[in-house]
Formats: sequence, structure tokens, C-alpha cells
Amino acid sequence: MLQGALAGLAAGGVYAVIAVCLTLMAQLVKVINFSQAAIGMFGAFIAVMFAEADVPQGLAVFLGILCGVVLSGLIGWIIATWLPEASISARSAVTVASLLLLISMSYILFGTKPKTFRAIFPGPAFEVGGVVVSQVTVVMVALAIVVAIAAKVVLSKTGVGTTLRAIADRPVAAELMGVPVKPFAIGVWLVTGLIVAVAIAIVAPTQTSDAASLSLLVIPASAAALVGGFRRLDLAVIGGLGLGMLQGATAQFPELSLVRDWIPLVLIVVFLLWNQRKEVWDAAR
Amino acid sequence: MRNMKRTIVFAAITASSALVLAGCSGSNADESTATGDPIVVASVNALSGAATFPEASAAAQAVFDEFNAAGGLDGRPIEYTALDDKGDPSAASSAARDAVESTNAVALVGSASLLDCEVNADYYEQSGIVSVQGTGVDPFCFSTPNISPTNAGPYLDTQLTLSYGSETLGLKKICGLLEIAGSTRAAYQEAFDNWTAATGKDFAMLDDTVPYGGSDYTPYVIKAKEAGCDAIYSNGVEPDAAGVLKAAEAQGMTDMTFLFLTSAYSAQFAEAASFVGKGVYVPAEFAPYTDESNEANSDWRALMEKHDVPLTSFAQGGYLAANNFIEMLKSMDGDITRETVTAAFKAQTEGYETPMAGTPWLFGPDDAHSSNTAGWPIVIEPGATTWSNAADTWVTAESFAK
Repeated sequence: MLQGALAGLAAGGVYAVIAVCLTLMAQLVKVINFSQAAIGMFGAFIAVMFAEADVPQGLAVFLGILCGVVLSGLIGWIIATWLPEASISARSAVTVASLLLLISMSYILFGTKPKTFRAIFPGPAFEVGGVVVSQVTVVMVALAIVVAIAAKVVLSKTGVGTTLRAIADRPVAAELMGVPVKPFAIGVWLVTGLIVAVAIAIVAPTQTSDAASLSLLVIPASAAALVGGFRRLDLAVIGGLGLGMLQGATAQFPELSLVRDWIPLVLIVVFLLWNQRKEVWDAAR
Repeated sequence: MRNMKRTIVFAAITASSALVLAGCSGSNADESTATGDPIVVASVNALSGAATFPEASAAAQAVFDEFNAAGGLDGRPIEYTALDDKGDPSAASSAARDAVESTNAVALVGSASLLDCEVNADYYEQSGIVSVQGTGVDPFCFSTPNISPTNAGPYLDTQLTLSYGSETLGLKKICGLLEIAGSTRAAYQEAFDNWTAATGKDFAMLDDTVPYGGSDYTPYVIKAKEAGCDAIYSNGVEPDAAGVLKAAEAQGMTDMTFLFLTSAYSAQFAEAASFVGKGVYVPAEFAPYTDESNEANSDWRALMEKHDVPLTSFAQGGYLAANNFIEMLKSMDGDITRETVTAAFKAQTEGYETPMAGTPWLFGPDDAHSSNTAGWPIVIEPGATTWSNAADTWVTAESFAK
């Protein structure tokens, strides 16, 4: 049970990192980015492509991550250019389209077979009472916490953070004050693209490495972000780690096998219902 | 308005570049010298969808192209249509009807699908058409009157890999991580029971709830560790089997041996496996193609390379299916129609021998066909990135019986 929960922690770390990025995106640029994990996936596959062409691993991973960052910036630029005034649902629809585009493009460019990902952090980190904690688990959990704290500090203590919050809360006012809204928005896309590309590059070697399963990591991550209501970074981290541990623990019981894969979806439904609990029918719609 | 136009232009460029990329796979078919009335043959394949096996029908096509270029059957070419079942039952059903009713095929040859047999076995029987399956996966491929696959299939393969592990490798405690698709559970159980009956061994732990295409197999691998197992059996297809290895690597399971199926056998899989514990063992359903010195495959290899078909077990199955069909055609006198072809296969008494398979391939009048009952043990040794032979000949279920 404990071993199972700890085994799920690596997955939980990825959920948490992506959930933090989703929350930042929702808060700062008003979009639920469904292509968040797909951007990282594409970067990781590019890295593999370079590695197969005998580029040294470090450089290949760097180029892959760079590609993820550029890709994220590109989607951000498209939305900031053509949909600056659009509703959050219209913007999010664009990210659904880019999710599908990225998955199909990776099938066309890289094929459907699994890829040769060389592990950046191979093997176990330490063992506590017979319970093995892998290096990837340690790195992912640390990354999730560091990213959440760094984001919190930047947003509340720095000038850039104040500007970002101004853009998020009063975009028109900010623009009238002379704040360059578009570059800041694209900047948010670039940074979240970087974080997710790094996270996927680390975790891809320990996961099933096909385009669809890596891209759809965004589903449990959304569930985790919902725990924080797409507002609170700390709860997004806790939600991600908790969800991973819960999935890991339930895998130890065959009788729970039916619910295991549904946990993120059940969580999403429960939180949506909870959020809407005080709404009357007409107002909620 | 200008923005709108730009959006449309952008979308058009994206769409057309995707189309160009998709269309890049050209064919270099030989010119057919056979000009007579074509003999129409079809197959039902997983060409798109979650798991795709395009190599079997591509290999069959290569064989037929070569046959036609050499004059066909007394001047009659074989016209081959590979239909897509999209991994979807209703698409599989309509593909079969398309093959039988619209294409008017005399037989199905070289099909490779996850569910063709299960969905269409009854229909093939009613329509009086036979299928020489290139790669049979579901249990109905091996248990119905009108289908005879060239491959051994995952159930017999399971029995062989478990027997090899418990008897030849002397593994004491084997844990099973079983992925179940559709109605395959009972067929796997039969394979486990056969293994237990022949060797007296059983699983120390069996989890039959392992998900297909799961993202992280760590929780399952840990169960095997907690059960104290020294080997893990998994029936996962390539990405899943790779996932099991990755999870075991992160857990530092250097003492674990892995018993997999032919579905994990590819050169790419061995390259991708940065960790194999004490070794990954697979009973290959056909002569191991990664061993270039194995002459059994030389004709097949040359043909596949000429036609740009990837070298995989699926391509071996499709190649053998097409050759078996041609051999049957050559032995027939008189009309070539669906009725006469079916009658000829049902009347077959002598199996077709090939060095590429351990046992002769046979159709015959039985209600169930699984003539391929052998596997060639191969292994990825620790530290290796290629497959090597674990034995120098075939093993069968009988060779382990006590």
C-alpha cells in the first residue's frame, strides 16, 4: 500500500507540475491549455529525433526543450494575435485543436511505435524500509514544489509579477497604462512551455512513450488543477501529488481496478459539481 | 476580414503540408506481366487506430507483386486489396462485407487485426470464404473453421514463454502482469492451465487488471516485487512491454527476468530497452529475423527490403500467408472461385513446410486451426541492445511436458 502510494508519486509529480502550469495559464492569460502536455511530448520526441541522429544526449534534450518552448510561444502568439478579446472557452478551444494537431503531427513525423528515450535520471534514489523511491520521483516532486513557490514569489514580490497580475485582472486598463500586454502574454506561454518540456523530458523515459499517452497526462493534471480551483498553486501541487499516490495505491488492489483509471475523471466531476453547488440552474448556465 | 483571410490561408497551408507528409510513402511495385483475368484477394487489417499492424498486408502485397511480375498464375495476376478495420468492431464488420460482397475476393490472405476473427468468423463461415490470417491475435483466429493463421498467437506464445522461464531458465517464482482486451481472458487462462498441467508450476502472483496503453506501470511492477518474484511475465504489446521495463528500471530491479511475447519482438524494442534486468526472453513465432545469419529468412528479407516493408514478425506472417495461398493456387486444377479455393484449403492434408516456421502450416477440414505451435527462444542480454538467440532451434509445448 505505502509502496504503491510512493510508486504513484512520480506520476503525481508530473501531474503537479502540469497542474501548476495550467493554473498559471488560467490565471494570467485566461486559457485552459489542453495542449500543455502535448507541447512537452512534442519537445521530447524532437529530442529523440536528434538523439537518433547521433547528437549528444544533453544537446538533444536541450534542443527538444527549446522546440517545446518555441511551440508554446507560437500557440501563445496565435491566441494573443487573433483572439485577444475572446472568451476563455474560445481560447481554450484553440488549445484543443493544437492538442489534436500535435498528436497527429507526431504520428506522421515520428510514427506510432515507442521511442528510445534514454533516462536522464535512471534507477532508484534511496530505499526506506524496503520501499524504493526512484530518482525521477525525487526530481519531479522537487520540481513541482520549486515551480509553485517560484511562481508565487515572482507574482507577489516582483515588478514583473505585479504587471502580470495587472494584465490578468484589468487587461484594458493595463494596456491603456502602456503595459505591453501581448509580449507578456507570450512570455507566460514561453515559461510554461519551458517548465512542461523539462518535466516531460525527465519523465518520458519512465513512462509509456507514445504520443497519445504523454499528451493525455493533461487530464489528471486538470483534475489536480481543479483541486486548487485553477487559482491556488499550493492546492494544485497537493492535488497532483495526492492523485498520483491515490492511483498508485489503488493499483495494489485488483478489486479497485475498475475505478483506478477513472479517478481523475471522477475527481473532475465531483469538483465541478461542488463548485456549482450554490448556483441556481439558470445562473449556472 | 484580413485576419480571417490570414487564418484561412494558415489553416490551408497546415492542412496541405500534413497531406503531403502523409502521402510521402510511395510504393515501388513491380510491373505486372500477367494480363489475364485477375484473381481477387483481400485482407482485413488494423491500418489505423490505437494499435496498427500494416506490415502483414504490405508483405503479402510484395509477394503478390513479385508473383505477378513473374507472370502470375498462368497469366492471371493476383489483385490484392488491404482493407482497414480501424481497430473498431463495426469497421471490421463492414470491411469483411466489403471484401466478400463488393471486392468479391476468392479468399482473405495476410490479414493482421486485433479483432477481425472475433467479429467476422461467423460471417466468413456463412459466406464460405477462408482466411489465411497473417497475424491472428484474438482467440477466434485459432478456434474457428474458416480461419487458419500462420502465426502461433499470443496464447501458445504465453505457454511457451512461461514454460521456457520455469523449466529451461529455472525461474522459481513468476509473476504475471496480464492485459486483457475483449474476450481474451479465457484463452489466456487456458494457456496458463496448459503450462501448469505440463510443468506443475503456477504464478506466484497474477494481476489481470493491468491497463492497455497505461502511462506508468510502476504500481504493477512493485506488486511483483512485493510478491517476491524473480520473473515477470507480461503479454503487453511493444509500448506496454517497454513501459514495464522502464518502471522496473526506476525501481532498480536488477535481479528480475522478463518473459514477454512476440508482440514485444522488434529491433527497435531492443534498442529502446536501456534496462532488461537479467534478460528479456521471447519465444519468436517465426525464425528470428534480427539474426541476419539465419538463412531461413534470406528470401523474405530480400523481398521486404526491395519493397520497403519494415522487418517485423507481422511482415513474416503476411509473407508466409501469401506464399501459402500461392502454393495452394498452383496445386489447384480448373476454376479459381471462392467455392473451389475454400474446398481446396479444406481438403488440404499435407502441411506446407518452411524454414521460417517451426511446424508446417495446414488448413484442412478441422473446426479449429492452429498449426504453428513452435517458438524460437531469443533474448536481450543485460547490457545488449540487440536480440540474440537463446537456443539454436525451435521449442514446442511438448518439449517441456514432464
